[in-house]
Formats: sequence, structure tokens, C-alpha cells
Amino acid sequence: MNLIAQLLPESHVLLGLEAGSKKRVFEQAGQLFETSCGISQTLVFDSLFAREKLGSTGLGQGIAIPHGRIKGLKQATGAFIRLAEAIAFDAPDGRPVAQLFVLLVPEQATEEHLQILSELATRFADRQFREKLATAPDAATVRQLFSA
Amino acid sequence: MKIIILGAGQVGASVAESLVSEENDITMVDSDAERLAALQDRLDLRVVTGNAAYPSVLKSAGAEDADLVIAVTQSDQTNLVACKIAQSMFNVPTRVARLRSRDFLEDERLLSPDNFAVDFAICPEQIITDYVVRLIQFPEALQVLDFAGGRVSLVAVRAYEGGLLVSKPIKEMKEHLPLGMEARVAAIYRRDQPIIPTGDTHIQPGDEVFVLAAAEHIRPVLRELRRMMNPVQRIMIAGGGNIGLRVAATLEARYEVKIIEHTRTRADYIASKLKDALVLSGDATDEELLEQENIAEMDLFLALTNDDEDNIMAASLAKRMGCKRVVALINRRAYADMVQGGPIDIGISPAHVSIGTLLAHVRRGDVAAVHSLRRGAAEALELVAHGDAGSSKVVGKRIADIPWPKGVTVAALVRDFDFVESVHVRDDGTVDRRSGRVEIAHGDSVIQSGDHVVVFCVQKKLVRKVEQLFQVGFHFF
Repeated sequence: MNLIAQLLPESHVLLGLEAGSKKRVFEQAGQLFETSCGISQTLVFDSLFAREKLGSTGLGQGIAIPHGRIKGLKQATGAFIRLAEAIAFDAPDGRPVAQLFVLLVPEQATEEHLQILSELATRFADRQFREKLATAPDAATVRQLFSA
Repeated sequence: MKIIILGAGQVGASVAESLVSEENDITMVDSDAERLAALQDRLDLRVVTGNAAYPSVLKSAGAEDADLVIAVTQSDQTNLVACKIAQSMFNVPTRVARLRSRDFLEDERLLSPDNFAVDFAICPEQIITDYVVRLIQFPEALQVLDFAGGRVSLVAVRAYEGGLLVSKPIKEMKEHLPLGMEARVAAIYRRDQPIIPTGDTHIQPGDEVFVLAAAEHIRPVLRELRRMMNPVQRIMIAGGGNIGLRVAATLEARYEVKIIEHTRTRADYIASKLKDALVLSGDATDEELLEQENIAEMDLFLALTNDDEDNIMAASLAKRMGCKRVVALINRRAYADMVQGGPIDIGISPAHVSIGTLLAHVRRGDVAAVHSLRRGAAEALELVAHGDAGSSKVVGKRIADIPWPKGVTVAALVRDFDFVESVHVRDDGTVDRRSGRVEIAHGDSVIQSGDHVVVFCVQKKLVRKVEQLFQVGFHFF
């Protein structure tokens, strides 16, 4: 199994999420990680916001990869969110963001985490991949796309 | 960024004006519908009429989506309650409040997340008091601004015949300054037009010069630009309101202070609060009173009432009657532009000196301090560089190799700011702990991660570009 699929159980895929702002997306992401991994929602929220303040994690083309280091986290974990409506994200191309891969890593970031980020960026750079993600009918399909 | 501003008064309107053009989504809340309508006529923002402390009002202002709440209503209590509700009901990540009364600032537990949940409090009276205190320490300056926790000072000063550097090229400055002492001329305004200084620029008498140096080097640097003035001893204050009272209380132990208050009962009240200052009941625009109190012997006259016209009149009168230097609080910008440098030496705009602290939280990137200058037209920022050569556009690069937009001057770096570097004992026996090392910026200085970089932008629109340079790439962890 590849690097990304390992991080992304089906329960971490949210499609058609209704969240009208960056803040609400981060709240929802925090809730997801709290329910499924027991990480405090506030911790996730604060960490994602603090990172975003230093520079947008928007990639352009409607994609963002918000990420943060979480104290006490044992191994990296991720979530894929597809929004019902795109939101402002201060991305380099100025376009609103509709698809997000949220990545949380332990406090001590390693080479592997940078690899995961580059891997994600490479995949999202592919237009066909983005289009498939945008139309994927369910979580299983999304996971499959990331596993390929 | 989605920002809610509570209170459409002077500060609220100035903040809105300063942010509205910067790709921000702003909602303004006030209980006065007419005031909101007037603001909406000239600025592109959303408005909500209502009491800013009500959850329903915050909700309709979009608190559920907001990145930042700025609570600057007239009422401290409303501001506190609004911050608490924004945090507990709406989970707004950053909350800033103006608090007029220092009572709320005495115990920091009060503003902690468990209590009123104010992340940053601004206290305009304190800011104006600090401003005035700095003017007394440096009588030659128009304004003294701090960066890196006071480690570096940016001084605005008018150049006069007699300054060592006046009518000479800037690069000669190092020949006059003692060895190991350096300064950077960050900007020059000549007849209100900015000039981007280079080593060959000649400073002319009348220029307004912004010069930056380590705080302990400011005095010799000022000598470059004008002759030194005698230290301030006698101060007269017009207006015994909150600001006047606070300034008098701060100064009375070290200087001879007289304060004029026109309301009899208020004069009695402040007399009971002050120990050494002499409280006079009367009208500060009354020539006879000023004459009687020896205005000509005063080193400094501070017009601090809440009325612009009174302040301008009183200060102009004091100047004409022989007071060495006069300062007036002026809220309306048109007035400030009109009188500064004319009959009045220094006009302080309370809204403008207060918003720098607010702007630091709105700027993108890790911005440690912002000073809004020249009534909002220019800005000086202290940014913290993060990342490495791969993830940052500035870290690991020589300053000369970074594509700064025209009109931006990198003035100084403070390195290793988080470590105490050295301890000095001041003349009065108190201890001065200096953290970090100040380096005046040169083309071949290399920016490192963690450096606090002080940057001057002659136009506000350049700020966005500077922020972008300091933002880390998406792959920064």
C-alpha cells in the first residue's frame, strides 16, 4: 500500500461537506479527528490555523493541503474533504478551494512527512486525477484513487 | 480573511478603512444604523445593526465563519462580553479588544481563555501615554516607534540646518557615528512626497526622515539630523480626561507638570488622584490663564482634550505665546494634515496610533509588530522569517538578491531574539536586558530562519507584496 492510502481510512473521506469558510472546514476536520483518533478538536483547529497564518497551504486549481504538527500524535494521519461549495483560501492563484487533504503529523516532523506532502502535491498536479476526485461517487472510490 | 469589527467609531472606522482594500471580507457591527450607513457609503463592507454583545447579532454578523473579531465599541464591557461569546459560542480563533480602563488589564487571568478570552487587548490611553513619554525622552523626534520588544527604534525626525548629515550624502553618516554604531535611513519625505534613500541621497533641511537604529544608539543618530534640544523639564497639559490624567500621572514624578481642566468637579477629582502635578481649573484656550501660568517657560504643551478644535486652538496659542514644543491630539485627519508642521509641531491621531497593534494580527505571515505611519499612507512592519531556502523566498538569501518591490526598505534584522543576549545597567541603576543581536541591514546580509526583519513600506499597498515574500511555501511544516 502506498504512503497516502495508509493515512486515509474510508471514514476519513468526507464528500459534499457543507462548510462555508476555512474556519468551519477546520472545525469539521477537528471533529473528525477527535471522533476517529481521539485527538482534541481544539488542538487540530489551532494547529491548522497557526500553520495557515504563516502562508496559505492552497496549491491552486481549487486544491489545498492544510497540515499541522500535533503534540502527542504517534503517527501521521490524513483526511480528504470535498466541499459542496468552494471557499476562499488565499491560494496563490486566488481561486477558491473545493478539495482539501488535511494532514496531521507528530510534533517531530521527519523526512517521511515531507515526502507525503510532495507525493500529494504531485498527484494533485495531475488534472485527470483532480477531475476524478471531483466526481468520485463515494469514499471507497476516493480511497482507491489515492491507492493507485 | 473574514473579519468582524464591533463598533464603528474612530478606531473601528480607521481599521476598516485600512483593511477593506486588502482582499478581506469585513462586517461592521454598531447599534447606530446611521453611522453604519455613512461608513458603507464610502467603504465596501457588510453592516449589521445591533448590540455587539448579543449572540444573535454576532451570529448574523457571520461569527460562525469569522477568522478574527475586533471589539472596539465605546464600552469595555461590551467588548469583553463580545470576545467571550465569540470564543465560547462561535469558536472564533482570534479575538482582539480595546479596553479603555486599565482595571481590566491589571490581572492577566481576567483575559485568559477561561475568562473573557481576549487574545490581545489594546489600550489607547496607554499607547498615547507611551507615545508622549517617548517624545519627552527624545525631544528632537516627531515620533519614536519600537520594534522587537524595544530592541530597535524607528524615529521620525525633521531635518534642520545644523544636523551633521544635513545637506550631505547619507553614506557619510558612518564617518560621524562612533565605531560600531550604525543606523539606516529608511525613508525620507520631502514636501510630503516619499524619496527612496540611497547612499548618495542628500538630506535637505525640512525633510521628514525615518531613521532606524538599535534603541541605545538613537541619541547620537538624532544628532545627524538636527541640533539637540534641552531635556524637557516643564510640561503643561490641557484636558484632564482619561488620557490627560493618565499622562499626568505617568509624568508627575519626574517632571514639573501642570494640568488644566475646565470642568470644576473633574478638576477636583483629578487633583485627588495626582500627587505632584498642579491641577488648574480653567480654559486652556484662555490667553490670560496661559500667560499667568508662564506658558513661555514650558518645554512642552500637550493638548489632550477630546475636542479637536480646542486642542488645535490651545496648542497654536501656546506655541505663539512662546512654548517650545506643542503637541495636539487630533481625531479628524483633514485637521491633522492641515496643522502639523504649521502652527503645531506634532499632531497625534489616536485612532492611527492604536491600530498598529490590531494590524499585526490581520497581516498574513508571522508579523510581530506593525506601525501605521503618515496617517495610514505608509507602514513599518516587523516580520519573523520562517522556513529554509526551499520553503521560504527570503531565508538563506542575501537581501540584495530578494525581489523587494520598489518603495520597500529593509532596515534591520534582529537575530536570536528569543535568547537574552546581554545585560546592561542603566545610569539610574535599573537593569536593561537586551535580547537578540541588532544588525543594520546591508545588501549582503543573509536572512536566517527566526530573524525579526524590520521593513519600511512607503506606500501601504506594498505591504501585501512584502507579506507574500515572507510567507512560507505550502510544503513548510
